[in-house]
Amino acid sequence: MSAPPFDPLLRSLGAAVLLDGTGDVTYARECRGAVTEWGGVYGQLVRLTGPWTIDVTVDGAPRALADGRIASERVGERWRSVHRFGRLTVSQEIAPLAEAPAVVRRLRLAAADGDPMNVVLTSEFVPFLLPVLVEGVRPVEFRLATAETHLRVRERGFGLDLHWNLPPSYLFLNRGSWRGGHWEGPVTTVGSEHVVRLAAGAPTEVCWVLGGGLERDLDRNLSAAAAALAAGGESGDGADAADAAWRASTPTVRFPDAPDLEAAYAAARDGLRRLYVAPGDGLAGLVAGFPWYSAIWCRDLAWMLPAVLWLGDFEWAERSIASVFRFQAPAALPLLGGTAGELPMQIAPGPVFLYGTSDTTLYFPELVLRSLRHSGDRAAAAAHRPEVRRIVDWARARRGPAGWVTNGGEAEAIATATRGVARVRLGIDAPDTTIWDSADRRDHAIDVQVLWIQALRSAAELEGDPTAAADLTAEAGHLAAALPSAFAWPDGPYLADSIRHGQTVLRARPNALRAVSAGLFERNRAREIVARALRDDLATPWGMRTLSAEDPAYRPHAYHEGQVWTIATGWAADAAYAAGVPAAGLSLLRTIATRFREENGGANECYRGDRPEPYNSCFLLGMSLAPFLTVLFERLWGLRVDATEPRLELEPAFPAGWTRASIDGLRLGGGRVAIRWDAPTLEVGWSGPGALTVVFPTEVRRAPAGGTARSEWRAPDPGES
Amino acid sequence: MAPDRVGGWLSLLRQGLQLDVDFGTHSLEAMAWIAEVVESSIYRRGSLYRTADGIRFVLDNPPLRLGAFYRLGLQVNGTPVAPERWTIRAGSAAARTAASVGAASPVELRAGEPVEVAASIGPLVGTVRVRLELDSVAIPPRVWMEFDDEVRAEGE
Repeated sequence: MSAPPFDPLLRSLGAAVLLDGTGDVTYARECRGAVTEWGGVYGQLVRLTGPWTIDVTVDGAPRALADGRIASERVGERWRSVHRFGRLTVSQEIAPLAEAPAVVRRLRLAAADGDPMNVVLTSEFVPFLLPVLVEGVRPVEFRLATAETHLRVRERGFGLDLHWNLPPSYLFLNRGSWRGGHWEGPVTTVGSEHVVRLAAGAPTEVCWVLGGGLERDLDRNLSAAAAALAAGGESGDGADAADAAWRASTPTVRFPDAPDLEAAYAAARDGLRRLYVAPGDGLAGLVAGFPWYSAIWCRDLAWMLPAVLWLGDFEWAERSIASVFRFQAPAALPLLGGTAGELPMQIAPGPVFLYGTSDTTLYFPELVLRSLRHSGDRAAAAAHRPEVRRIVDWARARRGPAGWVTNGGEAEAIATATRGVARVRLGIDAPDTTIWDSADRRDHAIDVQVLWIQALRSAAELEGDPTAAADLTAEAGHLAAALPSAFAWPDGPYLADSIRHGQTVLRARPNALRAVSAGLFERNRAREIVARALRDDLATPWGMRTLSAEDPAYRPHAYHEGQVWTIATGWAADAAYAAGVPAAGLSLLRTIATRFREENGGANECYRGDRPEPYNSCFLLGMSLAPFLTVLFERLWGLRVDATEPRLELEPAFPAGWTRASIDGLRLGGGRVAIRWDAPTLEVGWSGPGALTVVFPTEVRRAPAGGTARSEWRAPDPGES
Repeated sequence: MAPDRVGGWLSLLRQGLQLDVDFGTHSLEAMAWIAEVVESSIYRRGSLYRTADGIRFVLDNPPLRLGAFYRLGLQVNGTPVAPERWTIRAGSAAARTAASVGAASPVELRAGEPVEVAASIGPLVGTVRVRLELDSVAIPPRVWMEFDDEVRAEGE
């Protein structure tokens, strides 16, 4: 049995470190087909450094710190290692700070018996200072300046500070000696040498704090760095304490008959927490993933927030939605690919990156409605009404003759707009920007239409004007009625992937399952579609392919033309439950649970289509974690909530043989729900305020504040489902 | 400044002012940083030199995408250069012809690793337009970059 993969991520709300467990801050991982170095420190959604290494010289012989490692452990978001070099023992701790975008790296040096020794520590890092989205670009020129307690590196508006508790004896630039002061020019490495005279029985601590992101915030972080340097071994506790408090506020889910799912729930919940980020300027959200999507991607955020709501973090969900709406395009912004009402692809306290995706904007009306149903916060929902209206207007302006929203041409439009501006022109010939943004799915991809229908439905419920609401409902109804025939696959049980020039595009992708989840098909037809999707050209034992292996364009290593994506597996699970095939839904959930278990807290983005091997894959992706959680609550438990009443619907889809399950601490509006199923008794406890209407599978009851409501329900007999 | 460039900058200014009003100056500033760093960190300006039988130039970073590439294309002044007539050297790897690049032997490009391109296309003078195209082994859409620069003589 192979060892579980090393978890390379340490993070807090403000900072992250990627390391490989060898003892230095290095982490090589395959990316886009080549092994690439992702080790380093990240802060405020900016990659601050590449690898950060330390050499230890005892009596004149330099050795890499990593070479002497004899033990290591991870404790929460801290990583500790012990290294031995003859009589010298070095105990290292690396941890992100809780509230500042910085990381502390602490070495405790101890000498065994004998004469005092000279120990020289040489720290060296590669400055990066660019948001991760600008993939593959490391700036060439930097500005450096030294101060008494730290070294500052800047590059345009980005910057980092390296603080130390032991002033360096020497500084190095590009591996040559540097006397300090100011420097401006090409920089590949920055080094510092720290000399310690060490006597037996008198351990010495050498500590660095490296942090930053936006240059304008560097001075604000100085006090946090000083506090971390003075804190001794306690730095990093804050992040762990915050995580523990958050975890304690989330529901406890028990499946005594399915410990694998129970463990997967905890892993997915904890994984999602690790993506939380508060990068500054009042922004909140979750980064899409690590290593190379460590930014707030609004599409990815939209997939994560339903799970965040089920986990009870209403405030974070609302802050995240508000953060995105802050950047809703007020007018056309061709250079960024934005049109009025559109939401951006990414947000940050620094740059707002491109707009120009066909789907991102469409997710948010439903998110506002979901937030209302979980929190009951009518004021927040009403405050978002203008933004939701602008989203509808944005999408209506993109409709084709049949009313379908058009996708495609976004990247081309940006290239056209910027052609006259840049001296060096760069581009990606991506004709289209759906969730599979490297695939050409023009002109009306099916999942974009499902999103549009859901956006209209949600906007109708949020709309305060009855006439406008009726119009929205009618438009949604018209499209929902038209979709099954418009996307019908001739002589087959499946659905076309898109409509182009009025013709259906007959490529089998899992995206079509979104139409089943949206309830656009009657039960038998929905089952046919799900059964077709689960044939082995689309389904594998490790998840759902992005494209049928029978399609001529299928390539097992192509990102969106054959690779297996866990989010697609989540779609299939969701659709299977929606179609009334719970056994298939459970099997798909278990497929995902197996990935979580084998990946030791990770959740890969994607795998090869021909074998269960991560390829070109972030090791932790929110879009792989969150749908599992959402399906668990909404389909396996069959929960629907509306805190404005308050009301809870409960229709479990547990398989034959299960007899017990529970949820404790499920937040609903101002109260919490506890659900206990000990077959056949199904009991809902409610902390209030007011009475809770509980819709059980066979009856409706009311649970008073501080009381319970009971009913009976049994899992189906074998063969029944 | 060419008319299309003037128009582009005016458009940028107008949109920039719009962003400044709506999102605050931070977003505007930061977008300008990104544009500058991308422009200055990929093609090494002034690195386009005349060689005995053509040109050479240097990139300080891969254009927009890193990783392995199975097909490369080069155009000079709009004319494709035959793959056996130009070479690429990435990082510390040896120079190889574009014709030798394939799915089984891709070129690997990494952040911060310089890339040197040399093409045997005969003598060139004045300002030329160079376009480099790359096809990733992992993500289908082609990535490209294009720049205009003056060909310099060696030692200039």
